[in-house]
Amino acid sequence: MDDKKVRNIGISAHIDSGKTTLTERILFYTKRIHAIHDVKGKDGVGATMDSMELEKERGITIASAATFCQWRGHEINIIDTPGHVDFTVEVERSLRVLDGAVLVLCAVGGVQSQSITVDQQMKRYKVPCIAFVNKCDRSGANPFRVIGQLRSKLGHNAVAMQMPIGLENNFEGIIDLVSMKAVYFDGENGEIVRVEKIPDALLPEAVEKREVLVDAASMFSDELTEAILEERNIPEDLLISALRKGTLTREITLVLMGSAYKNKGVQPMLDAVTALLPCPADMKNEALDLAHNEQSVILSSNPADPAVALAFKLEDGAYGQLTYIRVYQGSIGKGDTIVNARTEKKVKVGRVVRMHADQMEDLDVIPAGYIGALFGIDCASGDTFASPGITLAMSSMFVAEPVISLSITPKDNKAQINMSKALNRFTKEDPTFKTHVDDETKETIIEGMGELHLEIYVERMRREYGAEVETGHPRVAYRETITRKAEFNYTHKKQTGGSGQYARVAGYIEPTTEGDFEFVNKVTGGSIPTQFISACEKGFRACMAKGPKLEFPVTGVRVVINDGASHSVDSSEMAFQSGARGGFLEAYAKAGVVIHEPVMKVVVETPTEFQGPCMGLLNQRRGMIVGSQDDGPMCVIESQVPLAEMFGFSTVLRSATQGQAQFTMEFALYKLVPQSIAEELVETAAKAKKGK
Amino acid sequence: MVKRDLITRHPFGLQGDEPDILSEGEFGAVLSRAGVGKTALLVQLALNAMLRDKNVLHISLNDPVDKITLWYKELFHHLSQRHAALPASQLWNSLLPHRFIMTFKIAAFSVPKLRERLADLTEQDIFHPDMVIIDGLRFDESIRECLVELKTLAAEQSLHVWFSVHTHRHEESPSGVFPSSLRNIQDLFDVALQLQPDGTDIRIQPLKGPAHVVSGLSQLALDASSMLIK
Repeated sequence: MDDKKVRNIGISAHIDSGKTTLTERILFYTKRIHAIHDVKGKDGVGATMDSMELEKERGITIASAATFCQWRGHEINIIDTPGHVDFTVEVERSLRVLDGAVLVLCAVGGVQSQSITVDQQMKRYKVPCIAFVNKCDRSGANPFRVIGQLRSKLGHNAVAMQMPIGLENNFEGIIDLVSMKAVYFDGENGEIVRVEKIPDALLPEAVEKREVLVDAASMFSDELTEAILEERNIPEDLLISALRKGTLTREITLVLMGSAYKNKGVQPMLDAVTALLPCPADMKNEALDLAHNEQSVILSSNPADPAVALAFKLEDGAYGQLTYIRVYQGSIGKGDTIVNARTEKKVKVGRVVRMHADQMEDLDVIPAGYIGALFGIDCASGDTFASPGITLAMSSMFVAEPVISLSITPKDNKAQINMSKALNRFTKEDPTFKTHVDDETKETIIEGMGELHLEIYVERMRREYGAEVETGHPRVAYRETITRKAEFNYTHKKQTGGSGQYARVAGYIEPTTEGDFEFVNKVTGGSIPTQFISACEKGFRACMAKGPKLEFPVTGVRVVINDGASHSVDSSEMAFQSGARGGFLEAYAKAGVVIHEPVMKVVVETPTEFQGPCMGLLNQRRGMIVGSQDDGPMCVIESQVPLAEMFGFSTVLRSATQGQAQFTMEFALYKLVPQSIAEELVETAAKAKKGK
Repeated sequence: MVKRDLITRHPFGLQGDEPDILSEGEFGAVLSRAGVGKTALLVQLALNAMLRDKNVLHISLNDPVDKITLWYKELFHHLSQRHAALPASQLWNSLLPHRFIMTFKIAAFSVPKLRERLADLTEQDIFHPDMVIIDGLRFDESIRECLVELKTLAAEQSLHVWFSVHTHRHEESPSGVFPSSLRNIQDLFDVALQLQPDGTDIRIQPLKGPAHVVSGLSQLALDASSMLIK
């Protein structure tokens, strides 16, 4: 295998810009599948990439399946990235294993808010990309407007590499501005590519557009600049190599166009993927050296070196757990022993396979730069596997704290068992999805990044595991904190027969911005014996999980103990823990407790005529509008809205804008809850307590 | 009170209790060449107003919302650091509701459009600006008409407007008079400040304004590294 001929690419896009259809076509032209189905196909088969039923029903792609295909001697691994913002962890995880990406944009809708989020993520992981303007056959299609938006909204140096022959209903094919040829797609499924000379009517425009392309390319090649100055004929490969250079450094974004649905422009896009996007050796991959303070180490792509691989996706199939891995260094083969860097457990590799959506192919070895899957390996998503003796880990990915929770109760006994199976699997797959059992209510609580995030998992439980569950009301993850210093001096005393309990703990609590909890021991002269100090800390820490006021977690508290007393017989660890709890309660009541709530950054993108109503909606939800950006026909409103007010927002937004507005939401910060709302919360908490 | 401290220490607060440099319906201009600090000065004027619980509508015709937010953040950060005001983050959060950023593509900006946007905000009681900053307007031949319209709007909504005016090196006049290209709209502005680089500082040179404002401002300068008013 030649790793210069390998491409690990992602297809990344806004919902509805036709990503899944495009993937389907790619698999068809690369002869991986033999028939074409559409995302919402009438035949009920659905596109091949969506292996989950739920996704088929909703017409969206949630999980990133990796699939393999071959195109003109190149091996292409396609990682299908999720398009919805609630699954950004999955998006980010798949971006980590990509070397390049195809950014799919709709020729009508252009760059939408979701594209902006995805683009930012690509920027963060420095993923080189090319753009594919899809749906050129739709009415209102204008690929050059989309190029303008790529420049203005995303700041890409976007340059057209093709131009359309006709648009909308008359969309016939494309002109390749590198070879200066017209390309048409014949046959029932566009599988026959017919190359002809450019129609005379379009020639002047094509010449002009080519000049722009050549000019942009000349930035990356002196040889090309010379050729232009000397007015020599420019060889195709020289132009391509200059464009490739620019693409690899993300200094240029080449734009291709077509219509996947109408089977046009897909094969030239595959050519561009092989010609322009990087092979694994082009990319620099870093790992963290766990033995040396997580210093970053650059990995070699040499298959003979010790192996380092990242498990980026788990799937439960009919044959057990399937772990998708990308090998960064060395190689992983059948029978090898590898170590999980997180658990330090040794694992023996059994079957090694390569996936194409639902079908698989057995391999002997996965060398560096390749993507494959392992069978029967117990691990979590994001784990690193390395050869024994290697202490490297792929950098831990940024994982946000969950902001919303929901209680779930299984409907019957069978559901109970299936539910725990499902939860076990989901928490392994998605680090932002957490679950625990509430100590008091004995309910199972699931936590995640948004309403839809949790809804999808509840749905999946039902469909994939047959676990019917009832859900409670979603709960926002409020937090309590204190605003001023307060002192305590508490004596815990119990002498009712038998051995008594005695502990006195004194000191103060105060707000801190560094971390959630800090314990400082300033006891001098042994007024609290050293062996009981840790019991005190334990006692205080236990109070942090549930605030006395509203039972929300307490954060930002520093506890300082500076005095106390003990009894030679009656003092014990238990007594000091109780003493600490009493002290905390005493001081907490005086410490000016306030409630903080998660505030989300909400970005609404709407046609300008609905700008007023949209701002009104945000404002009604205690939102603070940061700004609005007028962009001609569309405008973007940026705001900060408390999560508690965001329930059901998508429905309201849709009805207020005739379904034309979209929004994205991500966690921004914790902010003080206004007095009136805080009182309401106190009231509901009091009611809930009574009801128990 | 931390907030109080910042205001009185804010250099523009030096002019006693007098609330604003401009009163309702008036126009102010900050003139300079590119990159000297027009936006920095305007943002500080805005911060000063926000600290006094005035609402500021910041309209930018060249930068996206993110970049403008960054300007505010940076300058506030510098300011609070200089005065060791704590806890700055809390204060910052209380300031934010007093600011609204609007950005337009230069070509898409027009007074009727602005009027519409303003109506969106005020009618729904979302935001009532006291002060407007318009950054990046092009002062070409046809601008007078637009400014006159804006003046009516400002008077109606009882707000005052600050503009940034980009001047060119060749038309710079040394002795503190209006650049020739702007003479025909000079009468519309009540206060005009020119920024002049002067060694490590940037001097604020009043071109026009009431006597007390001119005398108060003429001693001020911007620190070229932090862009803060000294």
